[in-house]
Amino acid sequence: MPPIDLPQGTLDLLILKALSLQPMHGWAISERLHQVSRTTLQVPQGSLYPALHRLERRGLIKAEWGASDNNRKAKYYELTRAGRKQLAAETDAWEQLTTAVALVLDQA
Amino acid sequence: MRQALNDLRYRLRALFRRDAMDHELEAELQFHLDKEADKHVRAGLSPDEARRRARASFGAREGVKDDTRDVRGLVALETLVQDVRYAARGLTARPVFTAGIVLTLGLGLGANAAMFGIVDRLLFRTPDDLRDPSTLHRVYTSFLADGEKRIDRNLAFPVYLDFARASRSIEAFSAFQTLQTAVGDGAETEQMRVTVASANYFPLFNARPIHGRFFNASDDSLPVGSPVVVLGYGFWRARYGGDPGVLGKTLRVGQTVRTIIGVAPEGFVGLNDQGVPAAWIPITSYAHERRGTAYPANYGWSWLELVARRRPGVSVAAAEADLTLAFHESWRREAVSQPGIGTPDSARAAVTLGPLQFNRGPQAGQDAQVARWILGVSLIVLLIACANVANLLLSRAVSRQREIAVRLALGVSRARLIRQLLTESFILAVAGGVTGLAFANWGSAALRSFYFTAEESVAVASDVRTLLFAGVATIVVALLTGLVPALQAGRGDLAGALKVGSREGTYRRGRARVVLLVFQATLSVVLLVGAGLFVRSLRNVQGFRLGYDADRIVFAGANLRGTRLNPGDLNALNERMARAAREIPGVTHVSLAESVPFYSNESRGLWVPGVDSIRRRGRFVLQAGGPDYFATLGTRILRGRAFDESDRAGSPRVVVVSDGMARALWENADPIGKCIRISADTAPCTTVIGVAEEVRLRTLTDAREYTYYLPATQYGSPVSPQLFVRIQGEAADFVDPIRRRLQREMPGSAFAAAMPLDRLIDPARRSWKFGATMFVAFGGLALVLAAIGLYSLIAYDVAQRTQELGVRLALGASMGDVVKLVMSSGVRLVVVGLVLGGGLALWGSRWMESMMFQQSPRDPVVFGIVTLVLLAVALLASFGPALRAARVDPNTALRSD
Repeated sequence: MPPIDLPQGTLDLLILKALSLQPMHGWAISERLHQVSRTTLQVPQGSLYPALHRLERRGLIKAEWGASDNNRKAKYYELTRAGRKQLAAETDAWEQLTTAVALVLDQA
Repeated sequence: MRQALNDLRYRLRALFRRDAMDHELEAELQFHLDKEADKHVRAGLSPDEARRRARASFGAREGVKDDTRDVRGLVALETLVQDVRYAARGLTARPVFTAGIVLTLGLGLGANAAMFGIVDRLLFRTPDDLRDPSTLHRVYTSFLADGEKRIDRNLAFPVYLDFARASRSIEAFSAFQTLQTAVGDGAETEQMRVTVASANYFPLFNARPIHGRFFNASDDSLPVGSPVVVLGYGFWRARYGGDPGVLGKTLRVGQTVRTIIGVAPEGFVGLNDQGVPAAWIPITSYAHERRGTAYPANYGWSWLELVARRRPGVSVAAAEADLTLAFHESWRREAVSQPGIGTPDSARAAVTLGPLQFNRGPQAGQDAQVARWILGVSLIVLLIACANVANLLLSRAVSRQREIAVRLALGVSRARLIRQLLTESFILAVAGGVTGLAFANWGSAALRSFYFTAEESVAVASDVRTLLFAGVATIVVALLTGLVPALQAGRGDLAGALKVGSREGTYRRGRARVVLLVFQATLSVVLLVGAGLFVRSLRNVQGFRLGYDADRIVFAGANLRGTRLNPGDLNALNERMARAAREIPGVTHVSLAESVPFYSNESRGLWVPGVDSIRRRGRFVLQAGGPDYFATLGTRILRGRAFDESDRAGSPRVVVVSDGMARALWENADPIGKCIRISADTAPCTTVIGVAEEVRLRTLTDAREYTYYLPATQYGSPVSPQLFVRIQGEAADFVDPIRRRLQREMPGSAFAAAMPLDRLIDPARRSWKFGATMFVAFGGLALVLAAIGLYSLIAYDVAQRTQELGVRLALGASMGDVVKLVMSSGVRLVVVGLVLGGGLALWGSRWMESMMFQQSPRDPVVFGIVTLVLLAVALLASFGPALRAARVDPNTALRSD
């Protein structure tokens, strides 16, 4: 199955989810999404960074420069408290939506 | 709340630490790319291939950076600053190019700002201090007179009273009239503008007197009123040095000595079309001074203008209907003493509420029409200027094609690119706008003096409405000039532009440029045709035989200011004045005159045996003059004789008629010896002794206006104390000597005034003078702009075609061939413009017709000359580049690039 594009607006949710485990830098986030989705989701790498900066501006994540594995400096993002709340709320909303859509698809 | 705070913190950091943030972003993206490449290396790819893959999966890096920056929110401001800097750098790097554009736009915008200021004043603006102008109207009456519909804005005092009494839809009427009258005493006496106004005139405005008070209803009371006067600000400053102690002092205005009760604020004009008056006086007091106690019932003396304020909630149509009824009632009252006027229904008497501005009403002058046209013309000039600038910007965009392609390839979005180019045209337009306002401010003084007096000429730069107009025009100009090049640039074929050098195939003369140039040429043709027509009209006006030599005559008169003279004394005064004038060296002839061209005309009822309905045959003006009348005026006698010393009070009554009058009354029969009766059909015969050439006394264009002449001795009463003085030399040089000499003959408080006769006629000629001046100026400007446009287009072509021309020369084309080739391409464009512009001018000629003076708007001479001029300009503009093309050295040309 070829990789599918992300529906509008879901990238933010996925980023928040990925960061809920541990702070990560941009490349790691993109890799993680790719792997966890069993390579089904193709995150356009170019659009990852505008999304990260947007989330940072909204105060859902915060960024810090730290040392990466081979001692290079990398920008690490982590969830803020607001970000955790947002993640919970959006996850609920997403589940309700998918359940509802699935129901409709089953019944119809 | 927290979110908002965070947002703000982020934005502030973005604003003040922009470079640091850019730096971080760069590092972040580089880190990403490196990690991605590492991944591919681990998978077994070569480092080069790994990096390539990483970049490919990442997308255009500059684009990602731009998108990320967009998120920062400050982007609009930030990129604007960037774009402005970028554009300014580009513009200052080419100062000549930039200055040329700014100057071009400056001329176009300046012309428009100046003309807008004038048209606004003539047609749209109401006085600043007027209260609620939307409910205020000028009152016009209309009725049939001699079978023709007449519109009148001058009403008699009793009509004003009738309206005020009968109408229910009008809150208040204000009556006023501005006239020239004598102000001051003795040597200080001057003829000045004075507004005669009803007491409710001042409450129309928010203005408050700076000293004292305006006059009120008890000052303007029937029938005599109070002898009071309110001074105009300018007059107060000039005559009294701004002394606040003037209140209570006296000033003679007209015949009456009046008490000064107030001073109007600076700039207070009232509802005048003619400028700030020296003073205001109450209607009742003035009317009584002029006509005695009978004036409130004198329906024959129509001299007041009227404005009406509608009551709230009353529509214009309802108010007009209401006023028409009031007018009918008034008409019937007048008919009691004047049964000849018929019934209001048979005369179709009606009232119209017109705009406050006289020049938008039914009696608008030709000046306003010409001003409107010239505003149109200045807009065309602006369009031409825009086309020129768009053309220049386009040529630059084309030569920057590769630069643009490179930036696109680097991931700069097309939208951003277009924004940048538009920024450039905005900077140019704003610079042009500022330059234009400077031009307008400095150049419009002359322009405005055509229309306004010094006191009301407001400088362009301090007039909010003009500034607003200039601002809007500037924005439109920026869009017009920037859009075409920007779209063109945003559309370019990226790969093509990157691949080829200028040698291969880029010789394409952009279609947009050709269209712009043809457009310019077309509009120039239209303007030049207009200029030609106006110049010919003006020449016709100036060369037009008025029937007298206005440039050799000084008009002088005595203002008696109410000094009552019995007929014997008046005749004696006339005699003394004529004799005194005759003694002045350089004066050749002197004659008394009752009528004065373009100033005052006497007319009386005429009865001619065998001819009926005389009034339908034309308008007959009565002139009475001394024995030297025809020699003084230079009016030629065509048949018979002029009157002379032998035609005295008791001798047989004689009359000289004008040529047109003779034909209007007796067609082809010999008029000499015919009888006309003047004033009454029972009057004795006055015998025609001569026929004089036709003269123009009231308008330059009304051909149904005729004149007949009586000897002053047979006029019946003494003629008015006014003289025509024929001089040798410049009329202006004689004005003062004549006035001073005549002053010595003046009785009592009377005073003498003099002016060149031409001065009276100039207002009738000035619309053509103004039209010709402005059309020529703007037409010339358009031509220069078109020439520059053509030159730059062809020069650019030649530069682009250097190789091709080199090849042609190398293959044996002669220099002449190349010159011809280049020039014909320029001339072809202009010919297309000529055809289109000529067609447009022909099509528009029907609207020009009314403004021409004895001039067909389809004059082949004008069209021919314009064609020649434009062709000459085309040849001239393309000759330089053509010569350069012919001098191309095939060797260099073929080797370059």
